[in-house]
Amino acid sequence: MSEQIVIVGFGPVAARLIDELLPAVRSGLARLTVIGEEDDAAYNRVLVADVGVGRTTASALALSDAAALIADGVDVRLGVRVRRVDRARQQVVLTDGTTPHYDRLVFATGSRPVIPNLTGLNPDPAHPVLPAGVTALRDLRDAEVLLQAVSGGKRVVVLGGGVLGLETALAAAEEGATVTVVHNGPHPLGRNIDRGGGAVLAASMRNCGVRMAGNARSTGVEHNAPDGGFSALLLDDGSAIDGDLLVLSCGVRPRVELAEGCGLSTATGILVDHKLRAHHEPHIFAIGDCAEVRCPDPSCSDCRAARGPSGLVGPGWRQAEWLAEYLTLLAGETVDSAGGGSHEGDSVDAAESLPELPTEKPGVIVLKARGMNMAVAGDNAAEPWDEEVLTAGAVNGRPRLQIAQWADPEHGRYVKMTTRGGVLEGLVAVGMPRTAAELVSLFERGDELPADRSLLLRLDGPDQLAAPGNSDPERTVCRCAGVSGTKIQDAVVDGCSTVAEVSGATRAGTGCGGCHSDIKDIIEKHFQAAAAA
Amino acid sequence: MTKSADTHCPYCALQCAMTLKSPAALTPAVQPGSDPVPAPSAPNVSAAAAAAGGPATAPVLEVSGRDFPTNRGGLCRKGWTSASLLSHPGRVTEPMLKGSDGVHRPVSWDDALKLITAAVKDTRARYGKDAVGVFGGGGLTNEKAYMLGKFARLALGTSRIDYNGRFCMSSAAAAGMRAFGVDRGLPFPLEDLDGASTILMLGSNVAETMPPFVQHLQGARDAGGLIVVDPRRSATAAFTSDGGGLHLQPLPGTDLTLLLGLSHVVIHEGLADTEFIQARTSGFEALARSVNAFWPERVQSLTGVPADLIRETARRLAHGATQGGSYILTGRGVEQHVDGTDTATAAINLSLLLGLPGSARSGYGTLTGQGNGQGGREHGQKADQLPGYRKITDPAARAHMAKVWGVPESLIPGPGLPAVQLLKSLGQPDGVRCLFVHASNIAVASPDANAVIDGLRSLDFLVVCDFFVSETAAEADLILPVLQWAEEEGTLTNLEGRVLRRRRALQPPAGARSELWIMARLAEALEAPSTYSEDPETVFEELRLASAGGLADYSGIDYAMLDRGEAAYWPYPVGSSGTPRLFLDGFAHADGKAVMTPVAPRRRRTPAPPARDISRDIANQGAKSMTLITGRLLEHYQSGSQTRRVSELLASQPEAKLQIHPAAAASMGVTDGSFVSVANERGEVVCRAELSTAIRPETVFLPFHFPELESANRLTEAATDPISGMPEFKFNKVWVRVAAKGLQHSVLQTSEAS
Repeated sequence: MSEQIVIVGFGPVAARLIDELLPAVRSGLARLTVIGEEDDAAYNRVLVADVGVGRTTASALALSDAAALIADGVDVRLGVRVRRVDRARQQVVLTDGTTPHYDRLVFATGSRPVIPNLTGLNPDPAHPVLPAGVTALRDLRDAEVLLQAVSGGKRVVVLGGGVLGLETALAAAEEGATVTVVHNGPHPLGRNIDRGGGAVLAASMRNCGVRMAGNARSTGVEHNAPDGGFSALLLDDGSAIDGDLLVLSCGVRPRVELAEGCGLSTATGILVDHKLRAHHEPHIFAIGDCAEVRCPDPSCSDCRAARGPSGLVGPGWRQAEWLAEYLTLLAGETVDSAGGGSHEGDSVDAAESLPELPTEKPGVIVLKARGMNMAVAGDNAAEPWDEEVLTAGAVNGRPRLQIAQWADPEHGRYVKMTTRGGVLEGLVAVGMPRTAAELVSLFERGDELPADRSLLLRLDGPDQLAAPGNSDPERTVCRCAGVSGTKIQDAVVDGCSTVAEVSGATRAGTGCGGCHSDIKDIIEKHFQAAAAA
Repeated sequence: MTKSADTHCPYCALQCAMTLKSPAALTPAVQPGSDPVPAPSAPNVSAAAAAAGGPATAPVLEVSGRDFPTNRGGLCRKGWTSASLLSHPGRVTEPMLKGSDGVHRPVSWDDALKLITAAVKDTRARYGKDAVGVFGGGGLTNEKAYMLGKFARLALGTSRIDYNGRFCMSSAAAAGMRAFGVDRGLPFPLEDLDGASTILMLGSNVAETMPPFVQHLQGARDAGGLIVVDPRRSATAAFTSDGGGLHLQPLPGTDLTLLLGLSHVVIHEGLADTEFIQARTSGFEALARSVNAFWPERVQSLTGVPADLIRETARRLAHGATQGGSYILTGRGVEQHVDGTDTATAAINLSLLLGLPGSARSGYGTLTGQGNGQGGREHGQKADQLPGYRKITDPAARAHMAKVWGVPESLIPGPGLPAVQLLKSLGQPDGVRCLFVHASNIAVASPDANAVIDGLRSLDFLVVCDFFVSETAAEADLILPVLQWAEEEGTLTNLEGRVLRRRRALQPPAGARSELWIMARLAEALEAPSTYSEDPETVFEELRLASAGGLADYSGIDYAMLDRGEAAYWPYPVGSSGTPRLFLDGFAHADGKAVMTPVAPRRRRTPAPPARDISRDIANQGAKSMTLITGRLLEHYQSGSQTRRVSELLASQPEAKLQIHPAAAASMGVTDGSFVSVANERGEVVCRAELSTAIRPETVFLPFHFPELESANRLTEAATDPISGMPEFKFNKVWVRVAAKGLQHSVLQTSEAS
C-alpha cells in the first residue's frame, strides 16, 4: 500500500515540495493530495510587487500547473480550505465536506500580513476586512489593487520600512507613482541594517524619488476619499500623510491556527525538529513560513540561537527539497514493510541516516530593485570602535569580531564587513553591486575574506574595466603569434614601415588581426621620432 | 617552380586554411597536393622562421595562411609552427613492441599485425567480443572515423567503441539533439557573426583556443555588445573592456543558474519573442514556470553576478535581435560539467525565448573544439551511434547500415559504453581486456587520469596508433606509426558543419601507415565481413551512401566539388546544394518545432568520504580548499603531445602554472613562481604558481596540456552527466599549499634537441 501524503497550502514552498515528490508519485510509491485555498496553483509570491507595478504579469508568475500535476496523478484541490485536522483519525476535514486521509501531513500554510492596530482598520487579525484604498501585498488580488493605483498615477503611501515595503515603493516610483514610505525608527530596514548603511539607504531611496518619512508612529487612517476610501495616514504627532492608496507592509505572521487547533506545539510558527517533524507527532511536518525549527532538546545549541521563521523563500525551498527526500525514503519503508520484504531495515536506515538539514544561516536580504543595489546579512550592528561588543564572547580561543567599513554617503556607497576569524558574520553593501554580490557569496559559503579587505571594494571601481597598460615594450602585442613590442620595434627599425611588412617579418598580426592598430602605433611612433630627429 | 598544397591546419575545429609549400631550394612536387615533397637533406633557415625565433632547423614545408571565410588568412602560433613536427626526430616510424624489460623495440609490420590478430582472437575466445575495445578521437578524418566505427563493429564485433569527443562535445550535442532534433555545432556560417550587435559567449576563450576566430567578434565589440561569461578574466573576456561589452564573472559551477536568471528577465520584462515561441517552439509554459524562481537578485546571491548586469545582458540580447542580430555561443567551460547537458539546454532555451535560432542573422551555436570534432561525432565512433548521426538503437538505422555494409543486421552490435565508463572498465571482470587507441592521449586527457593509467596497465594488450610516443603510447604493448596531416588525403568537417579537404603535401616516412591501411589489413586477417578500403576517396564514397538519409547527410558531397572549393555544409543530400543555415524553415523534430526543456540546478551531493580521508591529512598541512577549473593555453593543443614537441611553443609555455589570485596566494605564503601542491583524493599536481588578478580569489586554474606531475586531469573527477556521459572537468575541489620543494621536470625531446 503506497503512502498517502497530504500538503496543506499551495504556495511556492509547497510547489517545490510537490515537484520533488513527483518521481515518487509517478512510480506509485506515494499518493499526493494538495489543498490550496486560492483558486490559482502556486505562483511566485516574491514577485507580487512586480505585478503590482505592471512590470510582469500574473500569468508569468506561475510555478505550478494544476492540470499537469493532475495528469501526473496528483490530487489537486483548489479553492478549498481545511477546517480542521483530526489527528486521531489521521484525516483533514475540508470546507467542501470531504475528509481525506493522511499517512503524512505537511503544513505549508505560509504566513499572512500583519495588520497594524490603527483606528479605522478592523482589528480582528484572523479575519481582517480592509477598507477601500487600503491593501496588503501578499497575493494576486492585492497586486491588482496596487496596479490600478500605479497605472492611474495615484499617490501611494507604504506603511513599513521592511524589504517588501522598500521594493514596492521603488518599483511604484519608477513606474510613475508618487510614493511615500512611512516607517518607525531613524532609518528603514530596522534591525537588519546598521546605522550608517541605513542612512545611506534612506538617502538612496530619496534619490530614486521616494519620499521617506522616518521616526513616524502611525495611529490611524482617514477615509475622506470621494468613494469613502483611504485619504490619509494619521501620525501620532498630529500630522497626516495624504495619499490614494495605503499599502500595508508591516511584516508577516505565520499561519498556525490549524496546527494550534489540533494541539500541536507552536511558538511564532509551528514548532518542528531538525527533521521538520512537529513535536511528538511523527505523522505531521511543517515547512516554509509557517514552520519554526526548534527541537525539543533543551541542550541543542543551534536551537537556542534560532530566530524563528525567516520569512524568506530560500530556506523554505531548501526545507522542501530535504523533506521530499525524507518522505520518499519513508514511503519506501512503508512499501517494503507492507510487502513483507527483507529490505525493511535498509529503508529505515536510509531514512534515518539521511543527514539532517543544516541550520540556516541568518537570512540574506538583497533588495530587488532596478535603480539601486543593496544587500545586508547577519548581525551588522557593531561599529569598528565598539570594543566591548567586539570582544564579547571572544573566549576559549574564539577570535573577536572585526569590522571593516567604507562610507561614501555623497555617492551613495557604503560597505561594512563584520568578520570573525576572517569569515563574515554580517555585511552591509549599498550602491556597490559587485561588492555586494561577492560579499553575499562569501557569506553563504563561509569562506575566508582576503586579508586586504579593500580588494572587495575595488571590484566596483572603474579600474577593473580598464585595459592593461601598454607602456611595457616587452609586453606581448600579438598574442596569436606571441610577438613582443620589442620584436616589432626591431622589425620597424630594420625597415618595416607598414603593418603588412611587420607581419611578414615577425608574424605579428597574422592571427586574429586584433593588434593591427597597436603595430601601427609602434610604426608611427618610430617614424615620428625619426622625423623629429 | 614551387608547387604547393592547399589544406587546413592540423589542430582545432576552426580548421584555418593554410598552404603548404616546399622551400624553393628543395625539389618541388610534380603535382599540387598529390605527389610528396622529399624531406630536406640540409637545414635551411627561412627568414620568417628566424625572425619569429623559430627552430634552427627549417621545417620540411613552409606554412602560410590562406584566405578563407573562417580565418581570413590568419593563423595562430600553433598553425605557423605545425610543420616542424613533420621532421621531428622523435617521430615513430616503425611499429614498436614493448619487451619484457618495458623497452619498445622495432618490429616489422607483418609481425605487428600478426600479434594484434592473435591478441584479438585470444581475447575474444577467452572473454567474449566485448572484451576488445576501441577508443577513437576527434582528430581523425571523416574517412577514418567512419571506418573505425565499421571496423570495431564488424571486424572486431565489439560494441565497446567510444572516443574523446565524449569529453568535448557530448553535452552540447545532447542538448542540441533534445532541443533542435539535430546537432551541428554552428548551424550557420561563421561569417554570420560579423554583423551581429550582441554576442554572448559562455565558457569559451577563443582568444586563446582559436585566435583567428576573434576577427568575427569585431562587429559586436564595435557595437559594445560582446558579453563574455567566464570566472576568469580570460583573454577573450578582456576584449569586453574599453566599451567592447560586458564581462560576467560567475562562481565556477553556477553557469546554469545564471542562464536561468537571464531567461527569467527575458520573460518578466516582456523581451521574449512571443510570435516565434508560439509558431516555432513547444514547451514554453513549463519553461516559464521553471525559471520563475530565478529572479535576478536571487541569481546574484547564487552566482556572484550583480543583478543589474544580468538584466543588462538580457536586454542587450533582446535589443541585438532587433538590430544586427544576437548570438549565444557556448564552449567547454559551461558544458564540461555533470550538468553540462542541462546548462547547454538552458542556453538554448534562452536563445529560443529570444527567437534567435532559425533567424537569418541570429542564432545559438556551440564552438566545437577538436579538428574534426564535428565530423568525428557524426559517423559512428560514438558508442550509441551509426554513420550519418543515426541512433544505433533505431531499427531503421540498423537496417540501412546493414544494407550499405552488406551484412545481416544482427551482426551490428548494440550500444556500447560512453568513454568514462569504457575507461573505467579497463581490465575489470566483464570489462575491456584488449584496447585500440586512435588519435587520443587518454593518459593525460581523461578525467581522473591516474585511474586511467592504472586501467591501461591492467590490460592484456594495448595498441596505440600515434606518430609520437605520447604518454598513452608509452603504456602500449604495441605502437603503430601513423601519418601526420600533411601526409594524407581526406576530409574534415569544421565547427560550422562545412566539409573541407585535407590534402597531401609530403611523402610520409617509409615505415608509417594510414589507419585506413591498418584497419584494412587487420580486417583481412580477422576474416571480417564487408569491405575495408585503404583509399580515402573510396571510403568517402561509402560514407556518402552510409550517411544518406541520416541527420548528417553527406550524400551530395564528393571530392571533386570540394577540390573546386565549393562550400559544402551538411545536410547535403544528393541533388541539393547543402545547408549553410539550418532551421530557417523548421527544426528537425517531427512537428518542425524546437523543444524547450525545463532544467534546474541539481543539488550537488557531497560524495561519501573515501576510505582514507585524504583531505583531512592535507588540511592539516596548512592547505587551503579551493575550486579548480581547467582550460587551454594559446600555445598548446589538447594533451600537448604535439605542441610540447614544437620548440617555439614549448619555450613560450614550458610547464603548467597554477593561476591563483594574489590575495589567496598571500594568505598561504605562495609567491609568484614558487612551487605549489594542488591535491585532492584522486591525485596531486606540483607546479609553479602564477599570480594573477584575472582569476577569482577562491578559484585556481590549471592548463591541461601537461603530463605526469603537472597533469591537471589527475585532479578531475570521473563523475558524469547522466544524459551525455560528459565528465566533470571544470568544477573540482582541491587543496592548495606551498610545495616542500620543486620537482625535476621531465623534459621532452624537442626538435631543437637534434
